[in-house]
Amino acid sequence: MDDLLHVVWVLIGILVAFTVVMTMVAYTVLAERRVLGFIQGRLGPNRVGPGGFLQPLADLLKFIFKEDIVPDKSTRFVYFLAPVIATTAALMTIVVYPFGPEIHLPIINKTIPLVITRFDVALLYVLGVTSVGVYGIALAGWSSNNKYSLMGGLRSSAQMISYELALGLALIGVILQSGTLDLYSIVEQQAGHLGISGWNLLWAQPIGFVIYLIAAIAETNRVPFDLPEAETELVAGFHTEYSAMKFALFFLAEYVNMFTVSMLATTLFLGGWNGPFVHQLPLLGVFYFFGKVILFLFLYIWLRGTLPRFRFDQLMSFGWKFLVPVAIINIVLTATLQWSGAFDWLINLLHLKTATGWWG
Amino acid sequence: MSALFFILFAGLAVGCAISMVAQRNPLYGAISLIGVFISLACLYVTLAAPFIAAVQVIVYAGAIMVLVVFVIMLLNVEHEERQPMRLRALLPIAVGLAAILFAEAAFVIFFVQAPATTTRGADLSTGGACCLSDVGLTSSIGAGLFTTYLLPFEITSILLLMAVVGAMTLARSGGLLPARAGVIPGEQVLSKEMLDRSDAGNLTAVETQTTDEAARLLGVNQRRSDEQE
Repeated sequence: MDDLLHVVWVLIGILVAFTVVMTMVAYTVLAERRVLGFIQGRLGPNRVGPGGFLQPLADLLKFIFKEDIVPDKSTRFVYFLAPVIATTAALMTIVVYPFGPEIHLPIINKTIPLVITRFDVALLYVLGVTSVGVYGIALAGWSSNNKYSLMGGLRSSAQMISYELALGLALIGVILQSGTLDLYSIVEQQAGHLGISGWNLLWAQPIGFVIYLIAAIAETNRVPFDLPEAETELVAGFHTEYSAMKFALFFLAEYVNMFTVSMLATTLFLGGWNGPFVHQLPLLGVFYFFGKVILFLFLYIWLRGTLPRFRFDQLMSFGWKFLVPVAIINIVLTATLQWSGAFDWLINLLHLKTATGWWG
Repeated sequence: MSALFFILFAGLAVGCAISMVAQRNPLYGAISLIGVFISLACLYVTLAAPFIAAVQVIVYAGAIMVLVVFVIMLLNVEHEERQPMRLRALLPIAVGLAAILFAEAAFVIFFVQAPATTTRGADLSTGGACCLSDVGLTSSIGAGLFTTYLLPFEITSILLLMAVVGAMTLARSGGLLPARAGVIPGEQVLSKEMLDRSDAGNLTAVETQTTDEAARLLGVNQRRSDEQE
């Protein structure tokens, strides 16, 4: 009975998180189009609903009713499987992110932490699921039986594999620091004065944060690393031959990936749901969390409106010859400081992590 | 509950394994193998070894199989050529091995007693087990690797490092000659493999006029242009 109740709770949690994330992803697309419009001196979509507010709904309807064209010479099964893998892998990581601290539900009188499941190896789980996501793109490129698609798929897989390395190495600094792979504990450790001074970004992992951010943008195939779908060279890259809802699934996967990568950055470097007055008002944590995520999403859009695209060899040499060595140096540095007790000394000196007083 | 999950994932693993062997299309075989790895990872989770599960997905499903898929995609082998008679001699050995496997399974089922303790939930929120083993957890694996098993761990690391360096060396070598070898135009004695890949093993004499041409035939020009950059 207890078991069953737990499962029901988890399912409710998944449903809520899924709905919230999907809604936010839909509006990220809208926000991207509006902000890009603003950057480029035009309006962007503003016709459907007040200020274009219902545009995501209209887009969805359009995707559903479009003709679904399957290329004649495609490998049918793999062609259908690829978007499913991409979307599933993108969505699966949502279950480990802590959206907020423990909150008290008033009517049923129950205190629950706002995380779907706490997992001993949550961070590794995220990395593992992300690495499976590569198949979606690689198989899509191959099964379409189109040279542009194949090139896009190959580029994308090579890029994702290369930058996954830098990404993982950047995370090791945080792991060394916190001594756990459980995301909820990592967030809890980052509480400090006003819930700000304990952030990993500020005093412990600035290098790791920058590497993570760059690698994450490359990992999600976004500008300036959007070579897999460089439209001037490859038409649309791996999803050239995909139309209607199957294209929408790839589109969705890309934006969900952006979202989850932003959530991971928030969790590991920006203190997750920590912020001023969270201890007095736990529900505030959820707003802090999503506020920080939106900050990252805005950064993505801003970059897209600002930067030109890399060349492929520049991309590769940047990843392997710059990011990976710097990440390794960061690990050595973190390990040394951690081992010599310098971090602890700093914490005690500045009272960084002692959450005391009225602000705590 | 855990029995349900076991049946689900074990069934998936066996199904994918059969599909992997039965598929004629190599890519379908590779996808099935990925399915096997992921089902195995799920089984590890139900056995309270989340770290092994994560590593299984990252290393096997995420890295090794990506390479396999890459190779299949690049070689574009749509269908395996049928060579039914080739491995006929291995049939009795295969039957023998299968018999041993089934005998082992039967031995485990009938003679090995189940330990008294039950499995511990991998989920921290349902766990709270005080006295059960923590074998599969990250901290215990880390402690083991860096204390009791430090030497094997380091040896394995060095082995992997050597493999990485070896792969780099193999990938970077442009031809049979070192990059700084002087190349003189004139008569070159080349293995025919260099000129015609389909006919390997024979030596043949080729007349060249310029240094560049000789270098190209000997496979050193790629590295020269690299060095000039």
